[in-house]
Amino acid sequence: MKGFRYTIVFGALALLVLFLLYPLSLVLDASLRVNGTGTITLANYAQIFASKYYVNSIANSLLAAAFATVGATLIGTPLAFCLARVDVPGKTVLLTLATMPLVLPSFVAAYALVLLFGHAGVVTTGLRSIGIPIGPIYGLTGITIVFLLTLYPYVLMPAIAGFRAIDISIEEAARNLGGSRLHAFRTVLLPVAMPAVLAGALLVFIEALENFGVPVVLAEDRPFLAVDIFKLFAGEADNNPAAAGALSVLLIATTAIVLLVQRRYLNKHRFATDARTAPPPLPLSPGWRVLATGFSWGIVVLSLLPFLAVLFISFLHFRGPVLTWQLGLSNYSMLLEGSFRPLYNTLILATITAIVATLLGAPIGYIVTRHRGVLSTGLDMIGMVPFAVSGTVLAIGLIIAFNSGLLTLTGGWLILVIAYVVRKLPFCIRSSSAIVHQIEPSLEEASINLGMSPLRTFVTLTVPLMASGLIGGMILVWITAASELSSTIVLYTSRWSTMTVRMYHFLEGGEGAGSASAAAAILILFTAAPLLLVHRRLRRQDDTIL
Amino acid sequence: MTTIRLDSVSRTFGAVRAVDNVSATIEQGKLFTLLGPSGCGKTTLLRMIAGFAEVEAGSIWFDDRRIDTLPAHHRNAGMVFQNYAIFPNLTVEGNVAYGLRARKVNPADIPARVEKALDRVRLGGYGPRWPHQLSGGQLQRVAIARVLVIEPAVLLFDEPLSNLDAQLRTQMRVEIRQLQQSLGLTTVYVTHDQEEALAISDRIAILRSGKIEQVGSPEEIYQRPQTAFVAEFLGGANMLPGVAGTFDGHRTQVASCGTTISVHGKVAKTGQKLFLSIRPEALRLAEDSEGPVLQAKLVLREFLGQIQRLHAALPDGTQIRVSTLGSLQVAATAGAALEFAYDPAQIIVYPVP
Repeated sequence: MKGFRYTIVFGALALLVLFLLYPLSLVLDASLRVNGTGTITLANYAQIFASKYYVNSIANSLLAAAFATVGATLIGTPLAFCLARVDVPGKTVLLTLATMPLVLPSFVAAYALVLLFGHAGVVTTGLRSIGIPIGPIYGLTGITIVFLLTLYPYVLMPAIAGFRAIDISIEEAARNLGGSRLHAFRTVLLPVAMPAVLAGALLVFIEALENFGVPVVLAEDRPFLAVDIFKLFAGEADNNPAAAGALSVLLIATTAIVLLVQRRYLNKHRFATDARTAPPPLPLSPGWRVLATGFSWGIVVLSLLPFLAVLFISFLHFRGPVLTWQLGLSNYSMLLEGSFRPLYNTLILATITAIVATLLGAPIGYIVTRHRGVLSTGLDMIGMVPFAVSGTVLAIGLIIAFNSGLLTLTGGWLILVIAYVVRKLPFCIRSSSAIVHQIEPSLEEASINLGMSPLRTFVTLTVPLMASGLIGGMILVWITAASELSSTIVLYTSRWSTMTVRMYHFLEGGEGAGSASAAAAILILFTAAPLLLVHRRLRRQDDTIL
Repeated sequence: MTTIRLDSVSRTFGAVRAVDNVSATIEQGKLFTLLGPSGCGKTTLLRMIAGFAEVEAGSIWFDDRRIDTLPAHHRNAGMVFQNYAIFPNLTVEGNVAYGLRARKVNPADIPARVEKALDRVRLGGYGPRWPHQLSGGQLQRVAIARVLVIEPAVLLFDEPLSNLDAQLRTQMRVEIRQLQQSLGLTTVYVTHDQEEALAISDRIAILRSGKIEQVGSPEEIYQRPQTAFVAEFLGGANMLPGVAGTFDGHRTQVASCGTTISVHGKVAKTGQKLFLSIRPEALRLAEDSEGPVLQAKLVLREFLGQIQRLHAALPDGTQIRVSTLGSLQVAATAGAALEFAYDPAQIIVYPVP
């Protein structure tokens, strides 16, 4: 078992160093040299801070992330309270639906906003035709709205868990000592749930800052950090890898700091509340209950509306970029008449990624949880690094690292799988670790005590006990890999193009609105269907998504 | 039939010596209990025997076989865990058969052995059930059947009854004791419950901060505690500080708590400080007693059914506990003056530590 442990720890460390730390160090190195050669200099950074455009780019990204964070907290916290403590009709369905924006591709939601409120959007043209002028949705407004609607579950899920973990007796004690319900909420419930809320809020900030798909659809020509990094590295016009590197380093530094703050905060401010049972619903007057129901359903439906709109529009006929009200499958035939290849590629890559990431993450999660030590703590920390690295930046690092030489990976499918696996690893480790936490160590001791060797105990007892949870996590990895855009767009080749890349190109071309909507609809189907099929199994893992 | 021998066993956690140079011999077929307050090292000691806690110094032997160097799964020491540790993914049958499969027993023999073990713990016919369908007491029996079936060299119990309610606890401890005696298995039993320990054990070791304070039969430990800690931990003896007075050739008069207490024999030099240990049941309400008496004022009466416990204040205010039969009539008002008679031979004297 010791041999097994060291194999896993050193194997995982080697892989993470080779495919994560080494590429990132090359990005850092590129950012410190002019034109990739010469001595180390901060010239690239100086150039960025001297340029109004790039300062704007950084400012816009930070602003959008900040707005999204505040908005998601303001929406997510009361919604969480309603779902945790109010008898809202259809709560089970609502909880399932509320998790969906987390895994549905956010750039599809952004695209839906374009279809509805863009220059030639359904709502825009509709309102204009009856004389109501409507402003553009592009830029900060639209981006913030999409972030808000797709990222609020990051606050919602831990906040629900937080409110549920507060034993009813604590609240009853507050009331027994003479506090009103409102007073008890303000002085006890909210402070106890707050660490969970803020931890989730910081995740919203990180995700929003890193996100590439939403600004690429909605920014148009406005500067946005994630988009500019991509353009500087891969763009044909103003290619400047050094500047891309410098911006990447700034992005990673920001996300890493926020992540560290989040970790420290969680460690310091977690209250042990150990409720044995979830607190009962509040006795509310009918009026308040209707209000809570309307609010809860309203938010959840609103967040899913863009996806429904895309699904619907994909069955309408486009004449060029202009939407008509004729139903039909013309978009799908147009999308697929070229080739089924991207569809297959998406399925193949996502499946390989899900299997590899789970096989890698599960034993790491096990060791990190069961064996406390210097090595496993280090592994735990490095395993979380991908969380602070945006897909685009990781992909740029992989290209610099494996473009030539002994290990040339660019142009193949393997580099895509590597990028996906590295990006999904934190999730796999944490979900596996959460599963292991639920397995009493005494079970494994009992097995050993009855004569099973530790390794056989792991294989015949621990793995089967973890299996159902692991399959749930594997499906989530599959879903998010299938809808991955930010690293795919840097790493793909025409042979290994995916559905997300196809959609991106249709959007970029401007002419392919119909095909783009069909591609978006297929992506929604790929992500929503497995999620709904296994939502029962996933319910237990909601917390570990975070 | 196995004799367990612990030879100068030690284990530290950081700066804490969880188990400090413990030596003991557990005779074959005996039930040996490790008793002590939480944190005294009793569970660590048990886990050392099972192989789940490292032995830093010393050795552990089953007869003439040294086992502390063996991996846990080769020790053949059947352990019953505090939370039962029933595998939730296996049926009752699967749980009980687990150790047999680990030992690669001929599959054809397994069902009969499993059924026999389940019969032993009165769970015959429960084989196909799932753990979540069973009550706490039944899970406990599955856990016991699961270790009995592998015919272990020794049995280890880690606070096995602490998760059961009071009534089931007394019932299960009788069952465990009967089973252990009928099988003649050498058993190490960990508990913090002194009544449980007294009821079930052949021998008891009282542990305190990683060291054995006293080993002996339940009667020895209860009636002749060697240290003040054992006296106080077991049976809640009243510990009264005092100063030795004159010896009259028969008894020593000890000044204590604003009164004088007679103790049998010459226990200390005149003027020496000491502690007197008086068990609650060694005091009885005096009715024109011939012998020495203690004057006290009633503070509180607890009626417990079979017995009643009186809390009374000695002249200087020190409170003592007195156990009397529940059927005895007591003037129940607080502040009432009481007289307790005692036998000076039953008072044990300990030096001031």
